[in-house]
Amino acid sequence: MGTQKPFLAIDGVSKAFGGIQALYQVSFDVQERHIHALIGPNGAGKTTLFNVISGAFPPDEGSIRLDGTDIQGCPMHELVRLGIARTFQNVELFAGMSVLENVLVGCHSRTRCGLIGAMARWPWVVREERRARQRAMELLDMVGLADSAHKRAVDLPFGWQRLVEIARALAAEPKLLLLDEPAAGLNAVETEKLSRLIQHIRASGITVLLVEHDMNLTMDISDRIVVLDRGRKLAEGTPREIQSSDAVMEAYLGKKQ
Amino acid sequence: MSSRARLYSTGIFALGIVAVGLGVSNPYEQQLLTIIGIHTLLALGLNMLMGYAGQISLGHAAFFGLGAYGTGIFTTHFQWSPWASLPVVLVTSCLVGYAIGRPILRLSGYYLAMGTLGLGIIAHVIFREWDTFTGGASGLVGIPPLVVGRLVLGLGRTGFFAVWATVVLFFVLCGRLVDSRIGRALRALGDSPGAAAASGIHTAHLKAVIFSFSAVMAALAGYLYAHLLGFISPSSFDFLMSIRMVTMVVIGGMASIWGSLLGASVITLLPEWLHVFSDYEMMAYGLILMVVMIFLPQGLTRGVLDAFQRARTLRGAASS
Amino acid sequence: MSEFLQFLLTGITTGAIYGLIALGFNVLYNATDLINFAQGEFVMLGGLGFYTLGVVLGWPLGLSFAAAVAAVSLLGLLLERVALRPVKKPEPLPLIIITVGASIFLRGVAMRLWGKDPYSVPGLTASAEPVKVFGAAVMPQSLWIVGIVVAFMVGLHLFGKRTLTGKAMEACAIHRNAAWILGIPSDRMVLLAFAFSAGLGAVGGVIIAPITMCSYDMGTMLGLKGFCAAMLGGLGSHWGAAVGGVLLGVLESLAVGYFSSGIKDAVAFLVLLGILFVRPAGLLGASAVKRF
Repeated sequence: MGTQKPFLAIDGVSKAFGGIQALYQVSFDVQERHIHALIGPNGAGKTTLFNVISGAFPPDEGSIRLDGTDIQGCPMHELVRLGIARTFQNVELFAGMSVLENVLVGCHSRTRCGLIGAMARWPWVVREERRARQRAMELLDMVGLADSAHKRAVDLPFGWQRLVEIARALAAEPKLLLLDEPAAGLNAVETEKLSRLIQHIRASGITVLLVEHDMNLTMDISDRIVVLDRGRKLAEGTPREIQSSDAVMEAYLGKKQ
Repeated sequence: MSSRARLYSTGIFALGIVAVGLGVSNPYEQQLLTIIGIHTLLALGLNMLMGYAGQISLGHAAFFGLGAYGTGIFTTHFQWSPWASLPVVLVTSCLVGYAIGRPILRLSGYYLAMGTLGLGIIAHVIFREWDTFTGGASGLVGIPPLVVGRLVLGLGRTGFFAVWATVVLFFVLCGRLVDSRIGRALRALGDSPGAAAASGIHTAHLKAVIFSFSAVMAALAGYLYAHLLGFISPSSFDFLMSIRMVTMVVIGGMASIWGSLLGASVITLLPEWLHVFSDYEMMAYGLILMVVMIFLPQGLTRGVLDAFQRARTLRGAASS
Repeated sequence: MSEFLQFLLTGITTGAIYGLIALGFNVLYNATDLINFAQGEFVMLGGLGFYTLGVVLGWPLGLSFAAAVAAVSLLGLLLERVALRPVKKPEPLPLIIITVGASIFLRGVAMRLWGKDPYSVPGLTASAEPVKVFGAAVMPQSLWIVGIVVAFMVGLHLFGKRTLTGKAMEACAIHRNAAWILGIPSDRMVLLAFAFSAGLGAVGGVIIAPITMCSYDMGTMLGLKGFCAAMLGGLGSHWGAAVGGVLLGVLESLAVGYFSSGIKDAVAFLVLLGILFVRPAGLLGASAVKRF
């Protein structure tokens, strides 16, 4: 396993906002087709790291490589094309649109129709639109929401909205999926379903990096875990290693008990 | 709206226009209806930018004037045929729109609003001051009418049909646009720019594209206006005209294609019906803009429709 | 050389006023993240109000000055209370449209009250004799303008650094909720910022009126130029506003002097576009402008 070339390589990434050092010299690798979790107390820098990886803002120093190419400074939409898709901690669906349309927006980077094409409706545009709708429906079927395709996305229960967001991210056909606290606000049944969904996503060949507070879920499905604390990497290892690490127990799990 | 419903409603709309066009024979009313058509084009174009993409322009009269003065100058000073100047005017407005939209739209709404406000003022200054070409404050006269075969399009019935045929065409085109990959991207952008970018939408480019599109529509409206009236003056393309356009969109409702028709009608007819209106025009626009945005940020039509819908669902929930 | 000096001095005079208007934008932007499109209308109302009190009603000029500024400040408060406070979702688009609506409304009211003709307003000192400086003529009003603007700059600086209210306002600007948790009445700070920024605009109107005459439609252009000056100096930076204003005023004056008076109003717009293209944070501003 250690000889494999890393799929995502994060090397010495730092980021400060004003006087606050949100990330300091964080490095770790993510292997292809792994489920890799990022945990740590609030304010540890997990979401900042997500934002840096997904291109919301550049790191102050350090480099990020996806499949060997340096992606630092790439604008967000370019990263999506390269294969990075994400969800948001607070679920950011497009309020004015149906569930299906939300997922169709996710297809944006894999379709080509422009302004003129949209108005002219050339035959290829019609075909592309049909394919995109088919794909979006398949994804909704996969997350179990095909029946709600035509409802307004914001009218769905919160847990379902998370699933719509995951479907939207998958519609971009990512190689790396970033999930920001996917289980937050979900009940036990929904979390169980989510856990199966994430494993299914991994099985279809997508690498998953997730931030999660739900320890059962994280320990259950992750191949590897990185622990962040106050912007620094505290520990890294398999779930078993993390659970038995004293430093982690003290800094993070210890607080909970 | 499904595409079938849209097809039917457009068909009915087109039939209605034919009926009105044949039925109305009073020249004053024909002229008024033609102006409503031109204003509808303006409102529709601006609504694509404001209502869907959530970006504002406070200087769109600049593009309205660009179309009018562009074709006016080509056809009077250089004796071009109006048909030859049409593509030149449209391509120019498209390029100018993109070139201005791209840098300004990179930033958030305030800068765009201020930038376009400045653009509108400068364009008005140019129309007024560059008198060798624009005729200065007294305007540009003798713009030739459009001629199709032996038919001369004037402000009467012929102009009515020319303008409203264009309106129907753009209703269809904008309807298709809204229901496409680009339309969804626009609405995504208006809803949540961050999530739109994270979904792979090149937001800066898209904003400039739609800005450019709405500039082209405004220029087309200006082109029709110039050739139908045969006379243009800078006062038709001043800051107040830009505000009038914004008010049309706000009355008609954000992201509502049919609302553009309503907004344009209200803004065109108010001064005609209320003769004292011209003294209070600015106060009225100001009040409309403030009140609608405070209480119904989706615009008047959409706000009222939403309120109805809510009331109906509530009643439905109560009775079941 | 003396010609250049003359242009320079004229530029500094108008530039000082642009700087003052820019300061009005900044005060509000710092406290609320809002750009008020009615800022130019406050300038106009200051000028016309001063005319009515000082010329028509014959009040002493000092009193008219103070009363006009106070009245416009109240109007600023009113705008916040009536038009902006009730907005449920404070997003840029509705806020822009509301302040634009306020601006056009105020202009409409001014047109009804004062008509469309421009008025000439007396300077703050009766003497109209220009003072000679190295061969260039300086009107006494110019000295007043520069003096008043410098006084406001220094005053604002001391207010921000030395007084509790000033510090509280700054705290609100940095983080409204955090300030609120610490017990700073952030609501009242926002109101104060509105009144303050409207008042600064009115001061600008009173002191510019003797130079340019004043009319109901002078606000848009002055507002745009003030904003341009604020952008030039970096939005939110007080000293930047002064430098940006003077820079813009001098550029304008040189353009008019060496090219033609027709391009005067184009200068501000070209500078604004240039700034937006090249350096959105302004010449002096360090913080990046928000991209979303």
